[in-house]
Amino acid sequence: MGLDLRYPIGLMFSIFGLLLTGYGRAFPDARAPLTTVNVNFYAGAVMLLFGVVMLALAQRAKR
Amino acid sequence: MTLTLIDYLILATYFAFVLGIGFWLRQQVRSSGEFLLSGRSIPLWIAGLSFMAANLGAQEVIGMSASGAKYGIMTAHFYWVGAVPAMIFVGVFMMPFYYGSRARSVPEYLKLRFDEKTRTFNAATFAVMTVFSSGISMYALGRLFQLLLGWSFNACVLLSAGIVLIYIYLGGLTASIYNEVLQFFLIVLGLAPLAVLCAMRVGGWDSLRSKLPAVMTSLWAHTGSASQNPMGVDAFSLLAGLGFVLSFGYWCTDFLLVQRAMAADSMSSARRAPLVAAFPKMIIPFIVILPGIGAMALTAAAGSGYHLPMKESGVYDFDQVFPTLLAQFFPPGMLGVGITALMASFMSGMAGNVTAFNTVWTYDIYETHIRPGAGDQHYLKVGKLATVAGILISIGAAYLATIYNNIMDLLQLVFGFVNAPLFATFLLGMFWKRATGHGAFTGLLAGTAGAALTHGLTIAEGKGAWIAQVHSFPSTMAQNFWIAIVAWTTCFLVTILVSLATRPHSDQQMRGLVWGLTERPDDTARAWHERPAVLAMIVGVVLIALNWYFW
Repeated sequence: MGLDLRYPIGLMFSIFGLLLTGYGRAFPDARAPLTTVNVNFYAGAVMLLFGVVMLALAQRAKR
Repeated sequence: MTLTLIDYLILATYFAFVLGIGFWLRQQVRSSGEFLLSGRSIPLWIAGLSFMAANLGAQEVIGMSASGAKYGIMTAHFYWVGAVPAMIFVGVFMMPFYYGSRARSVPEYLKLRFDEKTRTFNAATFAVMTVFSSGISMYALGRLFQLLLGWSFNACVLLSAGIVLIYIYLGGLTASIYNEVLQFFLIVLGLAPLAVLCAMRVGGWDSLRSKLPAVMTSLWAHTGSASQNPMGVDAFSLLAGLGFVLSFGYWCTDFLLVQRAMAADSMSSARRAPLVAAFPKMIIPFIVILPGIGAMALTAAAGSGYHLPMKESGVYDFDQVFPTLLAQFFPPGMLGVGITALMASFMSGMAGNVTAFNTVWTYDIYETHIRPGAGDQHYLKVGKLATVAGILISIGAAYLATIYNNIMDLLQLVFGFVNAPLFATFLLGMFWKRATGHGAFTGLLAGTAGAALTHGLTIAEGKGAWIAQVHSFPSTMAQNFWIAIVAWTTCFLVTILVSLATRPHSDQQMRGLVWGLTERPDDTARAWHERPAVLAMIVGVVLIALNWYFW
């Protein structure tokens, strides 16, 4: 059968999430001029969560 | 603005996934139907999200944040009046005819319902419009990345066109649809943080309202007359021009969008796809318009650290809203995601146009007029060649595109001429069985002529009046709305008059194509979330609540 789109979506956002949370931890002072929070870490965490949920949904549908 | 290694890594990852989807899907493309129509196999949620995302291109993100800064929350009318009601209508009332007739394209429906000349007129104008739009997308992408990152215009255009070409060539419509969904999530997850950060910096909605003139933060309160709001439009032209003619003309008849719902795996999915699309569509203004309003509030507040750049002429450069916000709020890392989301929306805007173009070219122009009756493998080859040709023509159009101060206005003008009369044709075609082919064709010509004439006789912001100046509008937007209203009314009346004087098809020939001669899909026994009417009502309630809250 074809491709369950949730796999590539889940995988891509998991990678983005890992990259961003990792970068956010490694460089917590990387800030844009107008922000005071660690944007990379929090946004990355949301993407990682989204990616994992997508992968889990795809996996559950396969079984 | 400069990108660092992590940003490039994110951009490269995205490119790898986009191309990977194309490669993965290539073994599924064995016939022209699979290449051009996805073999009618797309699940509901994917069809729905791509129905919405296909439209979420360049004009949306940059243009809507620019309009948000220029006109305030009234820009949301493009969503809450100008899109969602039409999406409800196409799903509940029109999809049974599109999907049920087994037509492969919107022009082909016109052939089945009316005649060959009506189809060809629609197919030819549509084909020109799609490659033109695709070219504008490319042009805007090249310009933006040149200004923003100092990349070469040529390299941007060729790289994006090359990637789009590869994945469509391999995976056809399915690859385009899948990548639109990927892009949709990228926009939401990648750009929503910008809206959140911007809103936090301003201090929330109430603080935003206190910093700006009231007209920037209300939808309807200042639409009693055109002079009260910066858009220069009144409630009637908003509702009739944008809410009815333009938006129904676009969302209900534009094959680029309808194609996505028609690729769905069943009639039930096809009807619900636009309704599924309506939910995120109602939320998008918060991601694309809110940052624009926030940018004006920050500019107005002394000491906020943000100021919207001006053009040399001393007026705000609204197209800079989005790029400057990105630079001010996103650190390296998220900046890469933001840039990738922009790139993605440009590319899928392009891909949407190209996949609609190759289908209309192959089925409605080539198979009809150039070489009928060839085998399916021949049409598959033609479809693939049309993809290459479509992209080459778009690149040409990108180099021809001229500069307008707001991309939206230019697109609205094109839609006004071509799309506005169309909805009258479909409305009469689907709901009045007496409408004839001669009527539809004459009506379309008259409507398009009416649109051009209105533009030629009126002036707004120095545009139009190339015949004579008999009326002037306070803004080009008001002018566009009125062009649409005139075009629609002309087409509607001429179609009725000519139809009454000519002979209609027999009832037998129109079975499945017209209201009253088509079996209504019966879904009363299904669960609530499988019933279009129930979903439509939920969408309607949310829509009214939004209009009420931001009144």
